[in-house]
Amino acid sequence: MHELRIAEDLAAIVLEEAKNGGLSKVSDVNITFGQMIQIVPDIFRFAFREAVSGTAAEEAEINIEITPVKMRCAACGNDFIVNDNKFECRSCGSTDLEIIQGKELFIKSIEGE
Amino acid sequence: MRNILNRNQNKAAEVRKLLASEKVMMVNIISSPGAGKTTLLECTCEEIGRDFRIGVIEGDITTDRDAQRLKKYDIPIVVINTEGGCHLDSHSISKVLGSFNLKDIDVLFVENVGNLICPSQFDLGETFKLALVSVAEGDDKPAKYPMLFREAEAVILNKTDLIPYTNFNIDKFRSDLRDINARVPLFEVSCTSGDNIKMWYDWIRMRLKSYLI
Repeated sequence: MHELRIAEDLAAIVLEEAKNGGLSKVSDVNITFGQMIQIVPDIFRFAFREAVSGTAAEEAEINIEITPVKMRCAACGNDFIVNDNKFECRSCGSTDLEIIQGKELFIKSIEGE
Repeated sequence: MRNILNRNQNKAAEVRKLLASEKVMMVNIISSPGAGKTTLLECTCEEIGRDFRIGVIEGDITTDRDAQRLKKYDIPIVVINTEGGCHLDSHSISKVLGSFNLKDIDVLFVENVGNLICPSQFDLGETFKLALVSVAEGDDKPAKYPMLFREAEAVILNKTDLIPYTNFNIDKFRSDLRDINARVPLFEVSCTSGDNIKMWYDWIRMRLKSYLI
């Protein structure tokens, strides 16, 4: 249910940016979520719709891109995608890793008129 | 590109800075409802409270029952009722920090709302996250909730005394956890029977000693 709170924070940012950019109607909100955040897109859309009801963004389309979890090996520098919960370097087997993608909660752009 | 949780992140950074300047270690305890967070705190207060000054923030959807259970340790406790909210955030922590005399606290345990997903996403400004999971929940929790187990700096498996009565596969649990986080210390304990709990006490003592130097 963290979708609710994240949708509320997104709604506040969208409305602020729309105001700053002089948009009277927001048509599209393009966002990126990391896979690790475990957002359920349908719940998120529903929560966002509630949060922007009666505002300039009430008809906005939410376009969600989910990015895979990507790690960098501290031992050999290899970058690799984790899609099986196995956090181990595919090249040298080290477990000394740094996450470089997969925890994002970014707004890429807002479109409107 | 703008981070949606910027507000929470900025406040968490403020909290972290304040706690570092006051030399207070903050432990964010995350688990499902009923895994044994409050029981862990009871035995930890009893044992660690002899050498270190403890404070507790109790996050609960409603009621102060958990706080009532800890009253006997005579430690500062503040309850945050989230009134339906499924996690604590850095603003709620920041607000209650003023109720503590931070100069008189070495470690602040935060009992987050019982939930394995939402609390993992919200940085509170903690020193580290502690993941607590119990045998009765099943051995598949690390595989299902990788973010928590990846980010935790310690994992406690509680209620190990129940293993003979369940189909909990400890080898599977260990190997799933190792896949996700090969380096995290795992304590397999029973907070009620006291099995192995000394290993947790030794570890948290060591962490506190090195933090407070």
